[in-house]
Amino acid sequence: MASLDTTMAQGPAPDRRWRLVRLLFLAFLGLWLLFTLFPFYFMAITAFKSAAETNLTVPTFWPQAWFPSNFAGVFAEPTNFDALVDSFVIATGNTLLALFLGTLAGYAFARFPRQAGGENLAFWILSNRMFPPVAVLVPMFFLFDNTPWGTDSALSLIILYLVFNLPLATWLMMVFFRDAPRELEEAAYLDGWTPFQAFVRVTLPLVLPGMISVAMLCWIFAWNEYLFANLFVGTEVRTYTIVIPTFTHGSQTLWNLQMAFSLIAMIPPVTLFILLRRYMVRGLSLGVVKG
Amino acid sequence: MARLEVEGLCKGWDFPVIDELSFAVEEGEFFVIIGPSGIGKTTLLRLIAGLETPDRGRVLTGGRDVTRLPPYRRRVAMTFESYALYPHKTVYDNIASPLRARRESKAVIEQRVTEIAKLLRIDQLLNRRPGEVSGGQKQRTALGRTLVADPEVFLLDEPISHLDAKIRHELRTQFHTLEDLRRVATVYVTHDYAEALSLGDRIGVMGNGGRLVQTGQPHDLFERPANLFVAEHLGQPTINVIPSRLASEDQALVLQAEGGDLSFRVPEPHRARLEARNTAEVTLGLRPQHIRPADELANGIAIDARVDIFEALGSTGIMLAESGGVKLTALTDPERHFAHGESVALSVDDRAFHYFDPASGRNLME
Repeated sequence: MASLDTTMAQGPAPDRRWRLVRLLFLAFLGLWLLFTLFPFYFMAITAFKSAAETNLTVPTFWPQAWFPSNFAGVFAEPTNFDALVDSFVIATGNTLLALFLGTLAGYAFARFPRQAGGENLAFWILSNRMFPPVAVLVPMFFLFDNTPWGTDSALSLIILYLVFNLPLATWLMMVFFRDAPRELEEAAYLDGWTPFQAFVRVTLPLVLPGMISVAMLCWIFAWNEYLFANLFVGTEVRTYTIVIPTFTHGSQTLWNLQMAFSLIAMIPPVTLFILLRRYMVRGLSLGVVKG
Repeated sequence: MARLEVEGLCKGWDFPVIDELSFAVEEGEFFVIIGPSGIGKTTLLRLIAGLETPDRGRVLTGGRDVTRLPPYRRRVAMTFESYALYPHKTVYDNIASPLRARRESKAVIEQRVTEIAKLLRIDQLLNRRPGEVSGGQKQRTALGRTLVADPEVFLLDEPISHLDAKIRHELRTQFHTLEDLRRVATVYVTHDYAEALSLGDRIGVMGNGGRLVQTGQPHDLFERPANLFVAEHLGQPTINVIPSRLASEDQALVLQAEGGDLSFRVPEPHRARLEARNTAEVTLGLRPQHIRPADELANGIAIDARVDIFEALGSTGIMLAESGGVKLTALTDPERHFAHGESVALSVDDRAFHYFDPASGRNLME
């Protein structure tokens, strides 16, 4: 505070004025927090309400009576649980594939830019993400309809989501690999390791935080995707996102069950995030560790 | 069996960096390459290591042509200027890396790593990561990683240049005593002439154009430099360079400094060679080591000078003086003191004199 006092010496009451600014800022942050958290709060309490209470003209902000049985009610339809499993399989399968291919491609672009087609090709891959996906929704459907596994399968979505996740994974991994000093690989060659061994033993551990962040981003995208899933799957395979609208029957929506199901669907990504947070923050904010 | 030969090596990108470079290093020989920064010393080491492919020329270790072999098939170990330690591995695992690459047994690895670590006095740091040890300890770890590999050729790229003076000296003495280095051919790259003179069995001076300007024993290079470039790069303080002109005076041959009122009678042994020249221009080089105050050096050529700056550096005193408008650096006894503007009688020993061709820089006595 001493330095503030001297720089603000001309003002009438510098200390008080700064305190006011600070207070206003905190108030703004508080409001923002409320604004952000309220939907989650409302979702959580709605999940415990009775169906009747969810349809009141004046909404209640605290359940009049608690119905934890809503959570069991969600799974009265056993295929709803299968949908969570399908979503998990699709998100995980897609993430592993995107990460595997993206890591190899990113490494190629970072280390052998000329042989791999150069900066322009790398950017073209990323630019695929800028294309509005709705525009190719129907063509994609017919394209996948002609594959042996058809549209209504986990494999179709696992492959389709690569369109979104592979460019992201490739580009980000390229950036992480660029930050990993090449000299360390060269030192490994001189130790007697082959290029592949050097890649696995030296470079990969360095970009691991980055890889985990990329995995997280890919997984969450695939887990929450609705547009393509809604058109592609539904009979053999169902993702949880296309189950959520099914709680609307005719003119009535079972908000309590829908919210209970949404709450359950949040558990896997939140758990993953908490488990991997330590590595992820490092990956996103710092790039990789410097040699 | 571990002789290193480099034959007509060429490497360039937009311009030649290494050009028709050849030399050989015997087993057990410590060969130092010295040259200013950016001259291609590191590129040369990378070519020998196999990290770069030469445009032309060959690299042979133990008589075997390894030019086309990838680095991991050569028996070459190299330390990097940046150390290039694996940040995610401990000091132990860093040093063990070459042994693991060769699939040595766990017991052998442990024995070798511990042995090397003891030798380099980093045995108490084996469980730390490179980020948790000092610069000197990082350097020793990097050195340990190369020593443990038991290679045929050692390449050391400015291994101690970035350390502070005290540790630098300590590690320099350690290089003298490392037995492992005496069994292989070592190429040591530096820009520090003191390191070069101290460590090198032989020294190669690398100059512009990516060639070795001169190769030889340390004292040979110092006393008989092939050209002005070599003379200027070996020696601290730097050799005095005085553009001069030959003239005859009373049957003696005299060198007259250009743009100043200073002249030296050419010492008798040098006279014949200079007289044979058909131009009068000569670049005179005078080693500061052989210019002393007159009372410290008898029988030299006497000149009168005026002290400009005097630095007492503990083991020696450096005097920057001026004589007849020409600036000269001289060495003195460190105990003495000289004031700015003081008149001083200097004495120049015959051995101070070196003569270079002003156009080519070639040493006229060689």
